[in-house]
Amino acid sequence: MAIVAERYTGASIRRSEDPRILTGAGRYVDDVKLPGMLHAAFVRSPLAHAQVRSIDVSAARDLPGVVAVFTGAEIEDMTVPGPDPLVAFFGDTGPTPEFTLLATDKVRLVGDPVAIVVAESRYLAEDGCDLVEVEYDELAPVASAAAALDPASPPLFANLGSNIAREHPRAEFGDVAAAFAQADRVFDFHIDVHRHQNVPMEGRGCVASYDPQTAVMTFYAATQGVHVTKMGIVMRLGIEPDKVHVLAGDIGGSFGLKIGVSREELAAAAASRAVARPVKWTEDRGENLTASGQAREESFDVRAAVSNDGDLLGLDVRMVVDTGSYPSMGAMLAGIVQAMLPGPYKLAAMGFEATAVTTNKAPYVAYRGPWASETFVRERVLDLIAHELGLDPVEIRRRNIAPRTEPPAVMVTGRPLVGVTTMESLERVAELADFPAFRRRQAAARIEGRHLGIGVATFIEAAPGPRSQDGPSDPEGMEAMRLRLDGDGVVVLFTGQMPHGQSHQTTLAQIAADEFGVPFDQVRVVVGDSDLVPFGLTGGSRFATMTGGVALHGTRQLKAKVLDFASHLMEVSAQDLQITDGNIWVRGDPESAIAVTEIARQAASGDFGPGVDANLEVEAAYDGGAGGWSGGTHCAIVEVDVETGLVSVERYIVTEDCGALINPAVVEGQIRGGVAQGIGAVLLERSAYDEFGNFQSATFMDYLMPTACDIPRIEIEHLETVPLDADVNFRGVGEGGMIVAPPTIVNAIEDALSPFGVRIYEQHLPPARILELISMARRAS
Amino acid sequence: MVDITLTVNGAIRTGSAEARKTLADYLRDDLELTGTHVGCEHGVCGACTVIVDGLPVRSCLMLAVQAAGSEVTTIEGLAPDGGLGPLQQAMWDSHSFQCGFCTPGFVMQATALLSHHPDADEQQIREALSGNICRCTGYQSIIDGVLLAARRLRQPAGQGE
Repeated sequence: MAIVAERYTGASIRRSEDPRILTGAGRYVDDVKLPGMLHAAFVRSPLAHAQVRSIDVSAARDLPGVVAVFTGAEIEDMTVPGPDPLVAFFGDTGPTPEFTLLATDKVRLVGDPVAIVVAESRYLAEDGCDLVEVEYDELAPVASAAAALDPASPPLFANLGSNIAREHPRAEFGDVAAAFAQADRVFDFHIDVHRHQNVPMEGRGCVASYDPQTAVMTFYAATQGVHVTKMGIVMRLGIEPDKVHVLAGDIGGSFGLKIGVSREELAAAAASRAVARPVKWTEDRGENLTASGQAREESFDVRAAVSNDGDLLGLDVRMVVDTGSYPSMGAMLAGIVQAMLPGPYKLAAMGFEATAVTTNKAPYVAYRGPWASETFVRERVLDLIAHELGLDPVEIRRRNIAPRTEPPAVMVTGRPLVGVTTMESLERVAELADFPAFRRRQAAARIEGRHLGIGVATFIEAAPGPRSQDGPSDPEGMEAMRLRLDGDGVVVLFTGQMPHGQSHQTTLAQIAADEFGVPFDQVRVVVGDSDLVPFGLTGGSRFATMTGGVALHGTRQLKAKVLDFASHLMEVSAQDLQITDGNIWVRGDPESAIAVTEIARQAASGDFGPGVDANLEVEAAYDGGAGGWSGGTHCAIVEVDVETGLVSVERYIVTEDCGALINPAVVEGQIRGGVAQGIGAVLLERSAYDEFGNFQSATFMDYLMPTACDIPRIEIEHLETVPLDADVNFRGVGEGGMIVAPPTIVNAIEDALSPFGVRIYEQHLPPARILELISMARRAS
Repeated sequence: MVDITLTVNGAIRTGSAEARKTLADYLRDDLELTGTHVGCEHGVCGACTVIVDGLPVRSCLMLAVQAAGSEVTTIEGLAPDGGLGPLQQAMWDSHSFQCGFCTPGFVMQATALLSHHPDADEQQIREALSGNICRCTGYQSIIDGVLLAARRLRQPAGQGE
């Protein structure tokens, strides 16, 4: 018989998720329909900052079809006070604002929920919302970080006493004073990153189903981790963990938004328990844009110490982050921005301090590379310095990137740049873009009045990061997996990862199929059931190394157990057995082959007496092995129409290194999607507020998303330069595109506008702003 | 409530709907065809696109009662045997999608495009699909899927690639 071992890992295997997704057979949370299910809608504040004087829900309660209305105060009585579950999960210990699930005495943003209406249909629930009368006493809105920093601004949270959510005290790495003392030039820049947001095509939502007979809360979620959602329900509803069952099916994107369980979902759960019926809440797009959460909005005062040759000797940075209302993740941002700011560069001295403020805007949430502004600031500053010194953008990076050495260079903030191939990726992207040829074309185009520009930017991403001496590679700790050979011969992987587009069911099956020796479709990956899967969370580009690694090692463990069992049946030593193509056979004797399915059937059915372990199941854990960095360099060529301000991206080139690829098509999809979000962030997207805190971009006519006409073909070349680990060299690739695309595009735009002397200190460059920058530069010259 | 009869994926469906109920909600809630997704409810994102009497329609902007007497095709109706139609197959082969939420809208919009313009080139495909938003992919893989489907559909049967 032919025994052919085909290798799946490294190949663009077609996704096992696709047949259901392409036929409408996916199961998203809004597709869940339970007997007796009710629908929730929220009454939301039209004001940014106000005291709630009174709330009258009587007319809503009287509306036929409305089953219940709960005010913020009533929800508070039905739940357990406590910290934000996500903040608790991440172990944050700083001062925490005290707030309730729904607003009670005070509203803090346009869209703050003040009551939940539960009705027989979503239409009726919204009718009920219209009948709830809320009287507000307006407070002065705190609509900007500058306003929040004013000690006279009314504090959003009484217990904080001011609108300072968190101070990140000044830290110095290296000799900052000496770096500035020896500098030939010192530059000061103020750089802003604007507020924009995740906008998954599926908003948040849930179906909470409390069964009073069993006292079990079954919760259908759209989440990045069923156990993280479960933890929030346990905490805030006061239900024992064994009485909470969280289920998740297909999830329509997230990008960081759905890490934990939201205030609205917890209120829906409380309502379900109170009415003893299932309650569905499906966020509409207006709610999603207004109140689900937003990201970025940081400003940086940067002082750079530079030599005349273009060596970046030192940086001194002060960051202010506008975390909006209900700060959670935003308050924890400064530490990681600080750690990552030096990037893959030799930078020898850095000072950093930060302040997180609260304002009457949507809360800060994680968005694909939450710390990304460190890359924007660094890569923008390098180009600004290059302009001042008359250097080429590639040359200034070449001068400053830490070359790959043994032992590796160490970031001034502490982590070793082990296996980082930034220099290689920079050289390669410069070659692919052919800078000299571009410069000739640019010069020729300018004569015709066309403005082309080229930009590069580099990044590294701790996905998971280099191995530290005192624990797992990834900051979120070990990754667990349960694996078993089912009675039907299928290798089943139970993972706490909760894929929402990342193709985990495909990529894990590739790894396990290779490692076990069965065909790809003889592996099943189980996700999204808190009763079945171990703790886990999809986020932080953690999957490739941590989950890929635990799948590889766990499959190896399971295979050893299966071979041990088979050795009893086949009466040979396990060392003499091997598995290929779904058959177990004695090495050198193809005639001995027995199908894995047959061994599995026998294990499931037989009684083998003492000494034979027929329980073909293992629990595995993985610490990330040697870990490592992802990274790369991106290059964009843009054309700016200086009459209209429109920017078109003519060419976009990526050279990246995420180690060994599990599935190239999946990796490239992650990169392209991230780049598209980065292009959108620069050219289109902004979560806009007016001076009173009124949200200005609550529809897709106002919050502009990139379309197929805005995003060019994205060329990708993979470097797979440095294996660090004996087995697991897959590294995360989810966030890099979004981290580095914004500075790449902005750098290219500035290059295009160099004839006007335009200097750019911001990230959002819609046409009107491009025209302003040109006219400002013209006036100044 | 208004009594309505429409043909959905080739089957005659009779029921009643409140006048204000959208076609999207009627398909999803009343007919339990949840393959049609609702992404913005204001006609911009295209996730809810279905084909009504041969033309792509945003089912969040059309009332169920307006569809009375019409022939509606949803994603569930493209390959009734549970398999994949040629466009779906090409999109699978091209790794077109990630999270899948926008997918039904793209598939229906592209189906309508190819039925009217089987020779559409890349730029025409991009323009035809620019009313559909995908947040995951950067569009290239979707465009490639449509191009592949168009190429295959143009080839006479039996002349595989």
